[in-house]
Amino acid sequence: MKYKLGIIDTFTNKTSCIIRLSDSACIPLDEDNTDYQEYLEWVAKGNKAMEADET
Amino acid sequence: MSVAINGTNGITYNDGSLQPSAPVGKNRIINGNMMIDQRNSGGVTTPGNNGYTLDRWNAGLSQSSKYSVQQVVDAPSGFYNSIKATVLATVSLGATDYFMLKHKIEGYNVADLNFGTANPETITLSFWVKSSVTGTFGGGIQNSNESRGNAFNYTISSANTWEYKSVTLTGDTTGTWDKTNGTGLWLNLALGVGTTYSKSTGSWGAGPVLSATGATNLLATSSATIQFTGVQLETGTTATPFEHLQYGQQLALCQRYYEQNYGTNNYEVKIQGITSGLTNSAFKVSKRADATTTVYSSVTQTAGTVNNGNGNVQTAISSVISGKESFWVSMAGTSSQVYTYYFKSSAEL
Repeated sequence: MKYKLGIIDTFTNKTSCIIRLSDSACIPLDEDNTDYQEYLEWVAKGNKAMEADET
Repeated sequence: MSVAINGTNGITYNDGSLQPSAPVGKNRIINGNMMIDQRNSGGVTTPGNNGYTLDRWNAGLSQSSKYSVQQVVDAPSGFYNSIKATVLATVSLGATDYFMLKHKIEGYNVADLNFGTANPETITLSFWVKSSVTGTFGGGIQNSNESRGNAFNYTISSANTWEYKSVTLTGDTTGTWDKTNGTGLWLNLALGVGTTYSKSTGSWGAGPVLSATGATNLLATSSATIQFTGVQLETGTTATPFEHLQYGQQLALCQRYYEQNYGTNNYEVKIQGITSGLTNSAFKVSKRADATTTVYSSVTQTAGTVNNGNGNVQTAISSVISGKESFWVSMAGTSSQVYTYYFKSSAEL
């Protein structure tokens, strides 16, 4: 598994970020962000990120 | 005071000094003189594919651990640093192999070139190069999705000697060229590229175009080296003198894409106001896109943790909510405690 969903942002009630497990980087859900683009390509191949931690 | 305006080289003042005739910002390459190296501070790195080395310069490679990259203090007159690639293991190129140094230019910074229109600007690339291997080397310029490209080549005549090169290309009249905050134009300086991605020089065509057909493969030679500095891409048909920016100016340009305070005394110090709260840090420079951010304890430098200064307890964070201007660290903290952390934030192309 390469990614985990970040917790729900209580201000927006949306997923806060995508956590890249290899380096604990938090990737914003911004389609201009190349790390997020890479994540979307990974998802498009049928992969699924781990669920977010309980808050 | 008298001046002589020379259309080739710029403006010569009566004291003999030569000033570029183009306005500030003529060089579309950021960190072309290789002075900024936020990530490695001059250390050697063995990059992965698409991994960044010196600021704004990243690596393209089809096989890992075949070459290293380092900022070195070795440059021709008028420069101080260069980027140096060293072959770690030789490669006999397969058709789809590629090894190169890449520089992606943001669309906003090349929008005026009008690529993809009937009236694109002609561009000139110039640089200094030094290699332990002589021969004809290659490169390519592409659009963001690699559907259009143009190959170029240049000859290194003498081993281990700085040589100045320039290449002029007419602009591309077709294709889609990003003119906003994506990759507007993509320069490849090839170290070795197989036949699939090597194309004829002299015209724009379907990509990917990573190098020129028949170019020398640096990776055929054990421990071979190649260095570049003074890389400049400008409009027009003539390579003009390199545009030297103040160090701080260039650092700020780089920080639009990457910023860190890792391993310095400048770690973030935040007093948690509320339990299960958030701390906020502002970027020095607005980012190209919302930034990927990693935080590290200022004590253990463990990713994904912050240090609670009241007893140096390491606390795992819940997430980082990052934008273009700042980021928030979300964690289950304790009110009135002091938390310290480093960060690395990337909005690279």
